Amino acid sequence: MSDGSMSLTLKIWRQADASSQGDFRVYKVHGISPDQSFLEMLDVLNEQLIQQGEEPVAFDHDCREGICGMCSLMINGQAHGPERTTTTCQLHMRHFRSGDTIVIEPWRAKAFPVLRDLVVDRSAFDRIISKGGYVSVNTGNAPDGNAILIPKENADKAFEAATCIGCGACVAACKNASAMLFVSAKVSQMAMLPQGQPERTMRVQSMVAQMDAEGFGGCTNTNECEAACPVGISVENIARLNREYLRAVTVGRS
Amino acid sequence: MSWVIKAFSSSIGKKLLLAISGLALCGFLVAHLAGNLLLYVGPEVYNKYADALHAQKILLPIAEVGLLGLFVIHLANALRTNRENREARPVGYEVRQSKQPPSAFLKPASSVMYGTGIVVLLFLLLHLSDFRFELRNPAVAELTPFNKAQVLLRDPLTAIVYIIGSCSLGYHVSHGVQSAFQTLGVNHPKYNWLIGTVSKAFGLLVALGFGSFPLWAWAFHS
Repeated sequence: MSDGSMSLTLKIWRQADASSQGDFRVYKVHGISPDQSFLEMLDVLNEQLIQQGEEPVAFDHDCREGICGMCSLMINGQAHGPERTTTTCQLHMRHFRSGDTIVIEPWRAKAFPVLRDLVVDRSAFDRIISKGGYVSVNTGNAPDGNAILIPKENADKAFEAATCIGCGACVAACKNASAMLFVSAKVSQMAMLPQGQPERTMRVQSMVAQMDAEGFGGCTNTNECEAACPVGISVENIARLNREYLRAVTVGRS
Repeated sequence: MSWVIKAFSSSIGKKLLLAISGLALCGFLVAHLAGNLLLYVGPEVYNKYADALHAQKILLPIAEVGLLGLFVIHLANALRTNRENREARPVGYEVRQSKQPPSAFLKPASSVMYGTGIVVLLFLLLHLSDFRFELRNPAVAELTPFNKAQVLLRDPLTAIVYIIGSCSLGYHVSHGVQSAFQTLGVNHPKYNWLIGTVSKAFGLLVALGFGSFPLWAWAFHS
């Protein structure tokens, strides 16, 4: 190991398809650079598996820049691995040591069924968004940027909530597989802006109803989601979601 | 009224019921602890308080039914949400690690609410059968309230069980109070520290306060 390259033992969940029984398989990888990302390390493993005539490990990824929300992975029991506010694609192998055994599992939730190996179906999030995670606008010319004044503080809070990339780490890390942090971010980003007001009452009720229908658990305020979130969405949003819900069911007209 | 049923049937609605009933039950704990602390003032004062309380032939039954109602709401929603939360992850993880700073205790209070809740429920059933229904030791019915507390609590096994029950209750409410505020949407950087501190201090007060009575009976009156 004079060149600083790492050898690792990987214990990875393998599952042929949604209806198959899966199990853990153990693989060895050598010559991993500490400067490689976690996904590049998996690429090395897959090259090795292909050369051996085995099926490569399926895992989700897209931008590999930490902004798309496609990558996932439960790494040694932590969503997106050991670093805080870091997606799996931005996690580098220097955070591990040569000789380590790394356990890699898919997100586990009833609402996120495993499709293959480490890939889960997160379309439950899309269905929640389709129930109200949008604002309806008229077509035509774009309105003047400053026609509607928004307090700086509200704009900042809305932007913070809007940084949610919908990766599902909150669900994966929560002991109840609850989607409250995700839904709270998506409700909050609209609730604090004037453009979100017309659909405000409908939005929170429909999105919470869909969240429940998808089979996510409830929130027990353990704050694991906030700690696991790769973009640092605060549980302050969950309190806001609770307020929005209470407001909608008590004073809302729809 | 259908909107009420609909509102409280959602996951957030059930949590709201848990939060409201839990906070109300905490109010009862304050009153109960304040009354019990009169044990330390002396037999005359404590007996006078207990007799005056039991002389309330109309208000006391209303309060008891109210408490039972709150307890049933709290318990029913805890059972329901717990079942749903378990069902939400049919296949568990091989390895599990928190990204939060480690708790001072073995497990953070927030992750053992169901467990501590069950211990509190069993403790409550024992406590009611001892003091309210006098099932374990019917002879205490003849004693003054002060002597009744002494006799029942100074038994070593009872004392240990009551201390475990009190500590579980304290640990339960140390998360319960702050969680209830979060569920009710009360969260602001201005006062979050206060809610957290009050919640933990209340848990400590409950554990030390209620836990002290069996120690007192055991140490000084056996």
